[in-house]
Amino acid sequence: MTGVAKTPERALKKNKAGFFHVLGSQWQLALMSVPMLLYVLLFNYGPLWGWINAFKDIAHARGTWADFLKGKDAAWYGLQNFENLFRPGAIMFTDTIKNTVAMSLINLVLGTVSAILLAILLNEVRQKSFKRTVQTVTYLPHFLSMVIVVGIAQIIFDSSTLNPGPLNSLLLSTGIVKQGPDWLNTPGYFWWLVGVINVWKEVGWGTIIYISAMTGIDPCLYEAASIDGAGRWQRILHVTLPGIRSTFVILLIMNIGHLLDTGFEMQYLLKRNATEQVAYTIDLYVMEYGIRQNDYGLATAAGIFKSVIAIFLLTGANFISKKLGEDSLM
Amino acid sequence: MKKILAALLVAVMLLSLVPAVLAEGEEPITLTVFRGDPGDQPTEDNKIYKLIEEKFGVKFSFSYLAGDLDQTLSIQLAGDVYPDLFDGGNSADLIISGGALINLLDYISPEKTPRLWAHIEPQKARLIEKDADGNDVLYIIPNYGLPDGPQIALSVGGPAFFIQKQVLEWDDYPTIKTLDEYFDLLERFLDANPTDENGTPYTGFGILCEDWRHFCLINPVQHLMGRPNDGEVYICVTDQNYEVTGNDPSVEFKTETFIDKPYAKAYYKKLNDAFHAGLIDRNTFSMSYDQYIALISSGTMLGMFDQAWDFGTASSALVDAKMYDRTYVALGLVYDPDYVNGAEIEEHYLNGSLPNVRRGFGISTTCQCPERIIAMWEEMLSDEWQLIFNWGIEGEDYYITEDGRLNMTEEQYANTQNSQWKLANKADGFFQSSPKKQGWIMNDIQVGDKVVKAGNCWEPGNQDEIVFGLMNEYDKEFLAAYGYKKFADFVNPPIELAPYGEAWQIDYTPVTVAHDNFLKVQDRVLPELIQCDPAEYDAKWDAFVDEITPYCDEFAAFMQDAVVKEAHKVLDNVQ
Repeated sequence: MTGVAKTPERALKKNKAGFFHVLGSQWQLALMSVPMLLYVLLFNYGPLWGWINAFKDIAHARGTWADFLKGKDAAWYGLQNFENLFRPGAIMFTDTIKNTVAMSLINLVLGTVSAILLAILLNEVRQKSFKRTVQTVTYLPHFLSMVIVVGIAQIIFDSSTLNPGPLNSLLLSTGIVKQGPDWLNTPGYFWWLVGVINVWKEVGWGTIIYISAMTGIDPCLYEAASIDGAGRWQRILHVTLPGIRSTFVILLIMNIGHLLDTGFEMQYLLKRNATEQVAYTIDLYVMEYGIRQNDYGLATAAGIFKSVIAIFLLTGANFISKKLGEDSLM
Repeated sequence: MKKILAALLVAVMLLSLVPAVLAEGEEPITLTVFRGDPGDQPTEDNKIYKLIEEKFGVKFSFSYLAGDLDQTLSIQLAGDVYPDLFDGGNSADLIISGGALINLLDYISPEKTPRLWAHIEPQKARLIEKDADGNDVLYIIPNYGLPDGPQIALSVGGPAFFIQKQVLEWDDYPTIKTLDEYFDLLERFLDANPTDENGTPYTGFGILCEDWRHFCLINPVQHLMGRPNDGEVYICVTDQNYEVTGNDPSVEFKTETFIDKPYAKAYYKKLNDAFHAGLIDRNTFSMSYDQYIALISSGTMLGMFDQAWDFGTASSALVDAKMYDRTYVALGLVYDPDYVNGAEIEEHYLNGSLPNVRRGFGISTTCQCPERIIAMWEEMLSDEWQLIFNWGIEGEDYYITEDGRLNMTEEQYANTQNSQWKLANKADGFFQSSPKKQGWIMNDIQVGDKVVKAGNCWEPGNQDEIVFGLMNEYDKEFLAAYGYKKFADFVNPPIELAPYGEAWQIDYTPVTVAHDNFLKVQDRVLPELIQCDPAEYDAKWDAFVDEITPYCDEFAAFMQDAVVKEAHKVLDNVQ
């Protein structure tokens, strides 16, 4: 029959002109998303232009937009920059990939597990004032600058034999060890130090999202479970955890996308000469060889490499999540 | 109509006069200044800057380094607008090769700027370089190292093995000349005095390893072999040690990295022994510079290898706290003969003074008024202005005695050591990086109705009246116990500067990658060697040499060429 208005959804399916119809009918919403779109185009896609530097032989910071427009920028360099990434050296690019992934995974696992644990514990606390206090105290370190956090860590982990820091003093006084471990200078400890400090700094902050997810769980479920005879432990296992499952998965996918981003400030501040080989992340490598040593070409090549791996990781996680029948981002 | 025309004419004439008048009187300008080291902003009413503004119509807007130097410079280079006065600190090579500085030779000549020319003339072979097209270029007039008159060496300002005065006093003022004597003394002192009077344990020997200050870890071997500071290479200038080094003395300025050589192994073995004897605290390898300075300032570090300027703040803190016996003496140590095939090595920690090439202000290519800056520097090189910059205002900051000597009261001298006072009364931000006179005052200077006689020193810190007049009693007695006049007497007098200068100044940008790897391997492995089980030392040393040799070879080959080239700049000019 003619004259019956089509629903927008049906219009979208039936012909393409309908897309604009829908857009027109939702123009307010569309307009609101324009600033975000511009932001992404300007700051996330625009700088992709700079990738051109990866294929150029840039000696000394030359190769800015202005130089390019003046035709003064560096000569083409083929894939030499990418080859240079794998040249032998004291800090190898392959080491930095390994370090980045390892520290990110440690941070991801320790961070998520500790945040969920703390969130569950807080969720079980019935006394509001205590809950609030714990929450505030645990998320305060999130707002501390990394310099301060690392400064505190340096004092705590001070491994001086003459004036040991608090941790080693404790270990020595309890007689667990005869000589305190050399926390900051032992390459084997570095990744775990980063993980532990990160938990200390971020655990409170991480719980916020899980606690809000738990607030969203229908109280009826808990009541029903209690009536069915579930104890506190079983309610956690069968109501709380499934309740935050989708939040967990979304966060996991997002975190995997940022897996290679973890690691600049803390590693930069915490690294010592002895631990450089395990401390260098891709970002530090980019800074050291690109900005400090002025080889922007090499730094850009390293950056591209990082982006490509990140895209694989993100789509991979998304794909697996879809297969598992969970929420996905794309 | 005529009236209108006349009025117009007058107006036009007046208008055309305006720019001319402004150009004559030099309109006031503000120069942007970047300093390649950290510092503090001067106060608004700083008296010297006020004087400069009155006389030259020039104000300064300072920005100091905050953060990493190379990074900051690279970012500035990428930006294309540079500060007018551009001091690249220790990395001026970056801004020079980045094309940010103008060639000062376009503005400096014996006719136009007689004072500036006379200032650089004696060292022009070292200062004037050739650019890629073979033209003579000079980008930076050195901030230091162009002194008048004979060299002044009152104390060791650079590298040495340092030891607290109380340690020497405790052992009844012994003469310490070799590595073994030094560590033996430290160990005996530490055994007898494990803690200070407050119960804080003493650290025997500290090694600062942080970032670029790792020279405390990696540089000593060349000095133990009897050479002044050449950075990371050992250069055979005389054949003194060729039996030890295996160098062929007939090769001109044979240059090698020393860290991978057998004669370096002995030093780190000594440190390994010292570590296991409890002289070295483990946290020295992870200590930040601030922690290191704090430790020295606390007076509980007995000794270290360092450069005197590197812990200057700690030395001042010790003096401020009147802990004179915890301040340091610089010792010129060498290897004991049994380390080096019985060779008797002579110590040379001090050498002839050298212009601080490529350090100081350059004028940037985006500066609008290079002529004016040059003219100002020219005027400022006059004796009168130099006196103002170095000593201050007569009557306020110093006084002139009847016989024409410069002197300060104790209070005036204390002021010069007070950083807050300096921000209001000294023009350090500008003067430190500008061309300046050092050494001896060569001519009489009229100041008001008084005369400063030739033979005074430009720098108060070198003036006899200040150094010995204001010296604390402890130091006087300490020197008297040794029968020395000054602290530089603990080391040999300066040897003549080698023709190539000091190799640490050479720009190694072309081999950045190899050099960087060369340093990184040392940074990682040397602390391991010092801490390892003595039984494993030999094997670990061999592994270290294997790992570092390729980088050493590349770096040494580059340095060999560069050293010979530098030397010939000077040698060919003399002939």
